[in-house]
Parts: sequence; structure tokens; C-alpha cells
Amino acid sequence: MPDGKSEILQGTLDLMVLKTLETMGPLHGYGIARRIEQISEDALQINQGTIYASLVRLLQKGWISGAWGTSENNRKAKFYSITKAGRKQLAHEARSWERISGVIGRVLRIAERE
Amino acid sequence: MFAALRVLASRIRGWFSLRRVEEDFARELDSHLEMLMEENLRRGMPPEEARRAARVRLGGMTQLREAHRELHTLPFLDTLLQDIRYALRTLRKNPGFTTVAVLTLALGIAVNSTMFSLVSAFLLRRPPGREPERVAVVSAVNPNQVFHYDAFPVSAPTYLAWREANHVFADMAAADEYRTANLSAVGQPASAGRPATAGSPEAIPSAAVSPNYFSVLGVASQLGRTFADGEDQPGHDHVVILSHNLWEGRFGSDPSVVGRTTRLNRESYVIVGVMPADFRLLGFTPQLWTPLVLSAADQTAAARKDRSLHLFARLKPGVSITQARAEFAALAKRAEEGFAETEKGWGATVRTLPDFLIYNFEVRSGLAVMMAAVGFVLMIACANVAGLLLARATARRKELAIRLSLGASRPRIARQVLTESLLIALLGGSAGLLLAYWGIDFVRANMTFNEAISAVPLGLDWNVLLFALGVSLGSTVLSGLAPALTASRTDVHTNLKEESRAASAGRSHSRLRNALVASEIAAAMFLLIGAGLLIRGIYLIEHQNLGFRADHLLTASVTLDTARYKGPSEQTFFVRDVISKLQQIPSAEMVAAASDLPATGAGSVTLRIKGQPELPANGRLNARDAVVTIDYFQTAGIPLLRGRTFTETDNARAPRVIVVNQEFVHRYLQDQEPIGKQIRLDVIGAAPEWSEIVGVVGNVKAYSEETRDDPEVYEPFLQRPASSFALMLRASADPNNLASALRETVAQVDAELPLDRVMSMAVVIERQKGGDTFFVRVLGSFALLALILAAIGIYGLIAYSVGQRTHEIGIRMALGAGKSQVLRMVLGEGMKMAATGAAIGLVLALPLPKVFDAMFYGLHLRELRLYFLVPMAIFVVATLATYIPARRATRVDPMVALRYE
Repeated sequence: MPDGKSEILQGTLDLMVLKTLETMGPLHGYGIARRIEQISEDALQINQGTIYASLVRLLQKGWISGAWGTSENNRKAKFYSITKAGRKQLAHEARSWERISGVIGRVLRIAERE
Repeated sequence: MFAALRVLASRIRGWFSLRRVEEDFARELDSHLEMLMEENLRRGMPPEEARRAARVRLGGMTQLREAHRELHTLPFLDTLLQDIRYALRTLRKNPGFTTVAVLTLALGIAVNSTMFSLVSAFLLRRPPGREPERVAVVSAVNPNQVFHYDAFPVSAPTYLAWREANHVFADMAAADEYRTANLSAVGQPASAGRPATAGSPEAIPSAAVSPNYFSVLGVASQLGRTFADGEDQPGHDHVVILSHNLWEGRFGSDPSVVGRTTRLNRESYVIVGVMPADFRLLGFTPQLWTPLVLSAADQTAAARKDRSLHLFARLKPGVSITQARAEFAALAKRAEEGFAETEKGWGATVRTLPDFLIYNFEVRSGLAVMMAAVGFVLMIACANVAGLLLARATARRKELAIRLSLGASRPRIARQVLTESLLIALLGGSAGLLLAYWGIDFVRANMTFNEAISAVPLGLDWNVLLFALGVSLGSTVLSGLAPALTASRTDVHTNLKEESRAASAGRSHSRLRNALVASEIAAAMFLLIGAGLLIRGIYLIEHQNLGFRADHLLTASVTLDTARYKGPSEQTFFVRDVISKLQQIPSAEMVAAASDLPATGAGSVTLRIKGQPELPANGRLNARDAVVTIDYFQTAGIPLLRGRTFTETDNARAPRVIVVNQEFVHRYLQDQEPIGKQIRLDVIGAAPEWSEIVGVVGNVKAYSEETRDDPEVYEPFLQRPASSFALMLRASADPNNLASALRETVAQVDAELPLDRVMSMAVVIERQKGGDTFFVRVLGSFALLALILAAIGIYGLIAYSVGQRTHEIGIRMALGAGKSQVLRMVLGEGMKMAATGAAIGLVLALPLPKVFDAMFYGLHLRELRLYFLVPMAIFVVATLATYIPARRATRVDPMVALRYE
């Protein structure tokens, strides 16, 4: 992964992965990547492999857990699921986002009026 | 916070099971790839394209694996391991360089560790007992400027008064640490018709202590017990405690020794205990302890003049040393008011036990000098290694430039050089410790000039090991930092160019090199001047004319105990008897006895000269005072300058006579005619009488290890018998041959009287020098080592730099420069470096004589010649070190030099 990747982008990706797992339940790497591509309407054109960095970070922080299992096509794959700590973190991040976006929204509306 | 810890924990776990983690991930990637492929196949792509597209969409596998790996390890540890492996490889590839560097540092670390073992043994070891910092030593402060005037012992009445009067100590004990006991095995007392028989008598250093001495110090006995209250009263005081040494040596480590009787000072004593082996108060080395009995006579006002007790006390909880000091200053003032005659001007001071021991036994200065000296040796060694590392970095600058251009970070390069330096230091440290092990053995074997010193155990203890480790790490920084920084500053552009061989090493390289050379020279200069001063000073003292003939003289020390020799007539009888018998020994030319051997520091008295005004008690004239028998001056070889020496007629009934020395005449009589003048001596315990000067003899140095002459007076033995004195025999041949004859003769007169310290005068003087010869030899070798190391270092550095410039020299010579021009250029630069270093070293060395004067009592060093000789020597060395490689460079054929790379 190139060194220059900004932390904001890393954090955003982590958040998206976490949200995906909360919504979709246990999923393997490929599935998570496909889902993110769908949701972002393919606006986020990244190499699918980049999610693995997010997955490792989330694993190390204990927000998700991983286990080997079998996929729909009877293929062996590693499945990830969100943990309780992960849910808490997600809720916390969601609140932060709402607060920030609310402030920015108000600022923009004020600017618009003037 | 916790999240960070979790991450760290999982990283550490990942580092251990790295392979499994990597395999796991590889499988995961494979599975992901397969799923992507399937999607592509469903979309209708042909298999080949499906696979290719899948790979593209997933991303570069290698990169992904690498990134994954990095998340799971401790990158710092990784690079460290890499650096270490690389450094090891480099060191192995250059065995010559490695050997030289490791050996150089090993030498430096070895001498430092060896010297530090001394520091550890003398300064860092805690005295025995419970909480020794809470034990205080109370000393008197002598108003006269004598040696250690502020750590003077105290008199018995003072001890008793202060013990009652103080509020700062929970308990106070007293000890007379410098007694001698006459120990013989249990023998048969005399009975009718049969004299007493005894084992061979031996004079043992002993101490008399108050019963609470051991409990104040907080030490317990190993066998038996320590003294109990009341054992300092007459009738209960014949008990003795043995030291571990004595118990092993004289009593065969017999476990049942407690309760046995032994014969001490011709009386029966019961052994009540044995002290453990580690009970040792630095320089106090009694081999046995008896109770200190203070009779009524010891408590009179007159007894205040006899100061021989050391006071040990335990501070009350919460009381500080400063409070104690203040209280005793006040107590001393009170004593001054109450007993003006004896206590005028005397003060008191209090120190903690560890402080007192170090101060009293004077080890700090000598050790400080040694540590400074080896510190310099180490600095020079580090400079050498730094030079080597720098030379290597210079040689590899092209390779470094390539690595920098390929993306290596400068800090990484610096770290690599530092790692190399660390490895060298650790290897050098281990080798150094091995050398130090032998070094300590050598030091231990040679430091036997003093019972006190050799009693202290010397070894590779934890302090020394930690010190060696610290020094190794320090050397890493010292020797590696500068080269590391210089290497990291390698200029990429200039070094990658084709003509890089034309350029000499970068500016920062040669600046560092110059700095190294200059600092080595400065350090060597400082060390040589310092060592030279000390060595010269000690040499002067060793070879000074003492004023008497010390050759062919056998001496022995005798103490007539009061049990058998009750008064002057018994003492006189003994001396007469022994001397006449000793004169019968075939190869004994002359025999005499004296209260003190010459140049061993006789006691002093105050005196008054008839016709001169009376001076106040504190300002009186004083002189050394020795009591001698008739043949003393001839036996000792002291020349008679005027008048006569003593004869048989100068006995107890005759008028008192005195012989003075030349210095006395000069200082107190203003060189006027001394014969016939009258003097009155203030001798303790005797009524003052006027004595007439009958002769003048030559000066004898007061102490063999000092240069001063003191005024001295001699009294005839018959007029002032002493109970302890030295016997002197002048032998026609080797004096040691007379030793057994001497013992036998004395045994004939008194079988139970021990002869102490039977040795030739030469050995007595040697012993008095304390550690001086040893000190000088060791210091001298350090200075020499430093000079050799510096010479090697300087030579190496300059030779290398000249070698680097061979190409440049070739060009210059091809362009027409003559050999001498090139030589002058190189020499000039070398000399400039040397001059800078020499100037710095010289300036640093200027205050040394004053420093040494303060540190070493009695050594007055003014040796200006050294300040010329040493710079000259260094100049010669530097010139050679520059000239030889320069000359070699000019001899090279310019064509070869031009092609040289």
C-alpha cells in the first residue's frame, strides 16, 4: 500500500467495512469488497485487495473477528463478523458523523443565505 | 489507550507466528481471486482473460502480501535484525578491520573495568552491619594542621562525657582500633622449679571496644556471641572475640573454639565468639577484639591528652547528620570552656560511617586519578575505532551513494553504521571483560603493600559487569556516532559521478578525520603530562636522601607489656640485656634501640628554649622527639655534626641531656651555637625538666615519603625509658640473615615476648610508600598504552587519508609538482592537526600541578621540563606518522597513481 494514503481515507474505509458487516452479517473479503463497490455506485474504484488492510486493522482493534468457513459455492473462505465492541464503535462513529455533518450543513446554509 | 495496547499485543503475537499468518493470508487471497474469477466467467469472459482481469481487480499480490506482513510485525525489530545480520556479514568479510577494532576497544574496556573493580571494592561497597548510613563516626578536630586533623580520635573522658550529654544518638560506642595483643597458645603457667611455657608468641593487631560496639554497628557474630554489658568491668573483661581470618589461620576453623581459653598478654582469656568473614571496616583490620576497660585513671582531666578512641554511634530515628554535627560542635565548645588546658581549640565533627571510612583511608584521590587515566585511554581507543569506521565509510561511499539513490533513508544508513559499531563494542566488551578478569588477578596479587588494602576483596562483581556494559554502549556512541552521521551525509551526486575517484573524501569526512586526530593528540598529551608529573614526583621522593643509611639494617618492633615490665627499671634492664646479647651475634656490627625507626614519623612534643620568651600553649615550638640508645646514631648512619652523642654516663641519675638535629638549630636557634643551651620538653605524664644540648646530628626526613625536614630532638633511653620501641641491627651482610638469630636472642631473654614486623629497613621504607610504586607503575603503563594507541590511530588515519589521495597526488605530480612539494603539502596538513591537538592538550594540562597538590598530601610537583618534553615527543610521533605514508605516496609512479581507483 503506498505510504501516502491519508489517514482519513483509511479511517473511512474501515468504517465502511464495519458498517457493511453490521448490515450484512458475516461476510468474506470478496463479498465485503463487492458490497462497498455496489453501495458507492462504483464511485470508489479501488483495488479490492485494499480492504485487507482495513480488515487487519479492525481485527487488531478487536472490532471484528474472523474464522474460516464455507461459502455459498462450497468454497473455503475466511468470514468476518462484527463484535460487540465493533458495534459500539460504529454507533459512536455514526453519532460523530451526524454531529459534524450537522454543523457543516448549518454553516453551508448560513453561507448560502448570505 | 487500550486499543493501542491491543494492537501492540497482536503485533507481537503476529511477529512470533509470522509464517502461519502469511500462509493464512495467502490462502485467503487465493480464495478471493477464485471468487473474482468466477464472477468474470459468469460475465462471459474467456478463462485466460477472466484470470487476468481478476488479478488486476484484486491488486498486486506481492504488494498486498507485503502490506499485510507489515501490519503484523514490529517493523522496528525487523529492521534491527536486518541491520544486525548485515553488520555481522560486513564484519566477517573484513576480518582484519574487525580484529583491530575489537582489540582496540577490548583494551580500553579492560583497563577501565579493572580500575572500576577497585572503585567498586573501595568506594561502592557498603560497610557491614545494619543500615551503615545511620551509623555516625564522631571525631575530634585538631587545631594543629596535622594530617587528617579533622578526623582525629577522641579521649576517654570526652567519650564518656559526650555519651551522656548528647540527644541525637540512640547509643554510642568507642573503639581503640590500633592496639597490639600478644597472643600465644595456651601454655603452662610457671610453677615451682619450672618456668612458664607457652606456644610461639605472636603480635596481633587488635582493638579494644566498648561492649555495645557490635550492636551499634548492627553486626552479629558467626559463632558464639558478641560482648555483653558489664564485660568492660575489671574481673569480667577477660573475654575475646576472634576475627574470621584469625579463627581460620590460628585456630584451624575449629567450630568448638567458643568457650576455650587462650593466652593473651600473658593472661588467660575466654573466647566468646567469632566474627563473620565479611565484617571489615575498610582500613581497620584488628584480628581480635577485647573489651575496652576504662579505669579511674582513664577518666581524669589529665587523661584528656591521650586521644586514641574512635566513636561509633547510631542516630536516633528521624535525626539527621547535620543535626548531630551541630550538637557536637556545641558539646566541643562546652568542653573547651570546662577544660581549657587540654581542649583549647579542639572541635568535633560527625560523619556517616561510609563517608568516614573513605575519608580516613584516603583512597578517593588515587582512585580518581586512575579512573581519569583509564577514561582517557578509552577515549583514545574509541577515537581509533571511530577512525576505522570512518575510513570504511569513505571507502564505501560509492556503494552508499547507490543505496541512497535507490531509496534507502539517511537515518537507516546511520543506523547501520551504528549497529556495526554496537557489535564491535559488544565483542570488544566481552573480550575486555576476559582481559579484565586477568587484570584484576594481577592487581590483587600486586596490591599487597598494606594489610588494610589487601584485606578488601577484589573481583568481577555485578558493579563491574554493569559498568563494562555501560562502557561498551558508551563506546558505541562515541566511536560510531560521528562516522554514522558522516556516512549518512554522503553526497549522492558527487559520488555517483564517473570521476568520483578524482574527488577525495567529502569535506565532512576530512573534517571529522582532522577532529579525530586532534582529539587523540590532545588526550595523549594530557595523559602523558599528568602521568609524567606524578611519576616524576614519586621518583624524586623515592630517591631522596633520607639522611641516614637504610641499607644492611634489620629492624623489629617490641612492645613491653605492663604485666611483666612494670616500670622504667624493668624496661631499662630488658633493653640493656637484649642489646648486649644481640651484640654477641657474629655478623651484627652494631645494635641499638629507638622509640621510632628513622623516617617513620616519630611523635612530636612542644618545647621551650631557655632564654627565649614563653609562648602560649597553642603556639609553642614543636619538634619530633625520639628516645634512643647509645649506639643509635652510628647504627643508623646519622652523621654527628657538633658535640657528642650519648654515653653510658647519661643515665637516670645524671643531668638530662639532649641531642638536636641541624634543622632544629636552623629554625629555633637561628644557627647560633647550640651546645650548652637548655631546653624543656612538655612530655605527657612527666614532670618538666631542663635538658642540655650536647650534640647536633644531621637531618633525617620526618617521613620517607615526604620531602620535608622537621626539627627533631633525641633523648637517651636511660633517661626516658619507653615500653615500646624498635630494635635495629646493622649487619655486615644481608640483614635478613640475622632474623632468626634475632628472634632466638630475644626469646632467650623473654620467651613469651613477641617480635613484631621483623624486616629490613629497606622493606620498612618500601611499605611506607604505601601503594606509590604500584600506583606509579600502573599509571605509567596506562600513559604508555595511551601513547601507543594514539600513535597507531594517528598513523592509521593519516596513512589512510594519504592513500585516498594517491590519485590526487598522481595528478599533481604529473602536472609537475615535485616530490618535496607534495611531501610538504601533506606534512603541513598533518602538522596543523597535530599542533591544534597539542595546543588543546597543553592548555588542559596546565592546572594539573595544582590539582595534584590538593589531591596528594605531601607531593609538591613543579616540573616545567615536562611541558616541553611531552609536546616534543608527541611532535616527533606525529611527524613520523605523517611523514612515512606521505613519503610512500610520493614514491608511487604518477602513471600508476592516475589509474589508481
